[in-house]
Amino acid sequence: MIRSYIKIAWRNLQKRKVFSFINILGLALGFGCSILIFLYANYHLQFDNFHHIEDRIYRVVTEEHQDEIEYEPSVPPGFAEVFKSDFNYAEKVANIFIRQDWQIDGVDNNANNRLLEDIVFAEPDFFQILNFSLIKSLGNRDLTEPNVAYVTKDFAKRMFGDQSPLGQTFVLENKETIQVIGLLKDIPINSTVRGNIFVSYESLKNYSSFAYSKTWGGITSSLQCYALLRPNQDIAHIEKTLIPLVSKYRPESKNVHRYKLQKMSDVHFDHKYGGINANLLWIFSLVGMFLIIIACINFINISTAQAFSRSKEIGVRKVLGVSKNNLFWQFILETFLISFFALLLGLAIAIMVLPKFNELFQLQLTIQSLWTFKVFGFATLLLIIVSFLAGSYPGILMARILPTLALKGKLTQNDTGGKLTRKVLVTAQFGISIMLIVATIVISKQINYAITSDLGFDKEAMVMLEIPEQIELIKLKGLKDRLNQIPGVSSTTACLSSPGAAYNDWGTSIRYHNRPQYEEFSISAKLADKDYLNTFNLKLIAGRNFFSSDSITEVVVNQKFAEKLGLSSYEELVGKSLEANRGSIKATIVGVISNFHDQNFQNGIGPVFIAPEKSAYNELAVKMDGQDINTQLQAIENRWKEVFPKFVYKYSFLDERVASQYKEEQRFLSMTKLFSGLAIFISCLGLYGLISFFLARKTREISIRKILGGKVKDILAIVLQDFLKLILLAGAIASPIAWYFMNKWLQNYAYHTEISWWIFAVAIGVLLIITLLTIGYQAIKAATANPIKSLKTE
Amino acid sequence: MILQLTNASRTVNSGSKKIALLDSINLNVNEGEFISLMGPSGSGKSTLLNCIGMLDNFTDGSYIFLDEAVHTMKEKQRSKLYKEYIGFVFQAYHLIDELTVYENIETPLLYKNVKSSERKALVADILDRFNIVGKKDLFPSQLSGGQQQLVGIARALITRPKLILADEPTGNLNSKQSTEIMELFSELNKEGVTIIQATHSENNASYGSKIINLLDGQIVSE
Repeated sequence: MIRSYIKIAWRNLQKRKVFSFINILGLALGFGCSILIFLYANYHLQFDNFHHIEDRIYRVVTEEHQDEIEYEPSVPPGFAEVFKSDFNYAEKVANIFIRQDWQIDGVDNNANNRLLEDIVFAEPDFFQILNFSLIKSLGNRDLTEPNVAYVTKDFAKRMFGDQSPLGQTFVLENKETIQVIGLLKDIPINSTVRGNIFVSYESLKNYSSFAYSKTWGGITSSLQCYALLRPNQDIAHIEKTLIPLVSKYRPESKNVHRYKLQKMSDVHFDHKYGGINANLLWIFSLVGMFLIIIACINFINISTAQAFSRSKEIGVRKVLGVSKNNLFWQFILETFLISFFALLLGLAIAIMVLPKFNELFQLQLTIQSLWTFKVFGFATLLLIIVSFLAGSYPGILMARILPTLALKGKLTQNDTGGKLTRKVLVTAQFGISIMLIVATIVISKQINYAITSDLGFDKEAMVMLEIPEQIELIKLKGLKDRLNQIPGVSSTTACLSSPGAAYNDWGTSIRYHNRPQYEEFSISAKLADKDYLNTFNLKLIAGRNFFSSDSITEVVVNQKFAEKLGLSSYEELVGKSLEANRGSIKATIVGVISNFHDQNFQNGIGPVFIAPEKSAYNELAVKMDGQDINTQLQAIENRWKEVFPKFVYKYSFLDERVASQYKEEQRFLSMTKLFSGLAIFISCLGLYGLISFFLARKTREISIRKILGGKVKDILAIVLQDFLKLILLAGAIASPIAWYFMNKWLQNYAYHTEISWWIFAVAIGVLLIITLLTIGYQAIKAATANPIKSLKTE
Repeated sequence: MILQLTNASRTVNSGSKKIALLDSINLNVNEGEFISLMGPSGSGKSTLLNCIGMLDNFTDGSYIFLDEAVHTMKEKQRSKLYKEYIGFVFQAYHLIDELTVYENIETPLLYKNVKSSERKALVADILDRFNIVGKKDLFPSQLSGGQQQLVGIARALITRPKLILADEPTGNLNSKQSTEIMELFSELNKEGVTIIQATHSENNASYGSKIINLLDGQIVSE
């Protein structure tokens, strides 16, 4: 029986080539996307799943309670030791300290053998907690010693070639000479902790005395604390017992910490603490489902429209004794066969676009990852679901056909049914397309708004140079002078970070004037030399800029600061004292500047002060005039290298940094663009199929109308108006839904663009035009055909 | 007796009016009979055949088929009954275009869940008997009308039905092909198959053992 079904299904496929093609292509695109989305979701869901005792591994993170709550994926440097010694919850606790792109030199300091690597300073116990396998080590040595490291095979190969890495040395960031005492397997790509070089934590004292110290005085997000808990611990209870630590170790601070234990398997998905946005996975999956549904709708529409032309076969089968069940299964099997071909094509599509997909979403998926049991299972499941989703309704319709009518050819479209269903389904397709178009427009509008708005500081033709830590001020001064001589460079400033899109940020609490208490809010300190205001074109609205100084004695604050203090007059601030960092900083406010966007558009503008502190400068901002940038860049690089010959030159453009704050949005946009394009394309395939049937049925009506004197345009109107009505209906239904969700999305942004009415008009308009193009050709062909021909065949 | 109709009627609603397609038909058919239904278009021949064949239902009266009361049966039981005992032949042959001659003939056996080896034997027999072995892999569109009808009859006979219902079986054929088909029916009848055919042609009707004339849904003469 099944063989017979397959045979007839195959012959039907061949007989109706165009429609088979439409069905298969549409479904294949849906399948291809779904498979890629599945791989994407699977990639994220598998994060950090290679650790042995995963359910007992936790990262300790901090909620900082001030006037707002901030979330830091980190703890104070002193936390780990106390958690280990004063409590009995954990078997192992270890700090790590992570830095990107640090300079590695061979001991000969040959510039050709210079690498930039991600470094992890790790306490020895770290390797007892997370599962990073040590292949071999030098004797019994481990990371308790200073200036030793484990390195990965990948790094060893690049740094030392074929030589054994054990016992070899390298210079880290132009300071310490580090000896390699262990070789690690490469870190899996699904690991949150990434790096090629794991240096002993003892080595950190010469790089970050803050992180190395056991202080509770602040938090750096470079530090992470991992713990392997004893079995069967009550997390809520532990977190509760950690609360008193704050009054013990941070009695003064207004920034009240709450230490939280974050399960290793949650780390990757906790958006608050820098994980990916898990919603994105849901949205992706939903969109993948939409595409499949759209393709299924095509299938249902074309099949039910076809039911008419297949009614004779069904009638005959009924006379020969087929049961409704048999007919239903025959149709499901046909759908299955079509879906199966679509799946094969979908897989081929997935393989073809995999590199592009990786690039778009910054993944490293391989074709091998397609040939796994999971993907196979997923594909089979899809196949079955789609077969039923797309095959059931047409199957039921077919099974219902009355044989006596069918065999006499007296069956009308109304008897085969599905007319209303088709309208509903086409409307649904249009609706989904409209929603996706609206989403695309709104997202790109928001991104555009975020990167082209006036941020209150100058970001154009601004290049940010990294400067080595703790260089002598005189060298810095010399570099600034040399850079300022370059024609086209108007000014330079040494600073901790740029005003917005900051790589480094330092928040602290302050006490204003003669107020008795520290304020509830935290203020961001933009440490910089006196040229900061004029280089970034920050506008002074009261007082003056601070005078040149090596340390903080005078500060400039922003309007928001006054607002936070509850002061209305900016003049009032000038001359008042400011105490920060628990009294270690005492300064006078000398000026007030206008607000600028110190954070991205998701967040509001925060209170800021700007003050000089020579030990804190990490970057040098160079403002160019925008003419002949390449020559100027080359000159800048040359002069930088003259001053710092032993260091790697690293720079970035500020406008690009601002844009890169919206990387997630950009990715989201690429996704909606891609998917709305696909949704529209698949819908159009279906429309094309549907209009062919529609016209085939209407040929007689069109011919009669022509003979009665109907004009081509009247006839076109008959054909098109049905579809246009459906688009408008879909627009009416989809617009409020799209508005609701996109408005919700925009609420994530403290500064956001508006959803104007024209967005919906454009979305509907675009769909109208595409639909007209899709069905127009066929409609015109039908309307201009010779009426005699079609009437003769009646 | 193979079937017995008592006061069997079929009415349909057309708008607010009731129209009687068949009106109080009384008919007994004995095994081995060859009955020809005659009458003008619209007299109810096809409707009567459809109702006897259980593709359609009488709306009134009783219908006994092989001692079973068809008019009280559920659709499933009826379907089982006609699958077992009735074969259909149509004016327009109604072969499935996508299936070969062999597969067309085999289809009723599939629906009766006949085993594969038995199916092969049965189909081979009938192909042989009808002299169409050479055509078994052709599709209907590759055959002449007469050949298609031959396949249609072969398909109707494959389940060894007791009753063949033929609705103008030669209506689309030329006179030579017609004669061949009618002679085949005659032969089958002699082998014991009961046949009811609807026809316009006196000549075809003469092959039968009995002629029934229908007019406006009523039997006017037997």
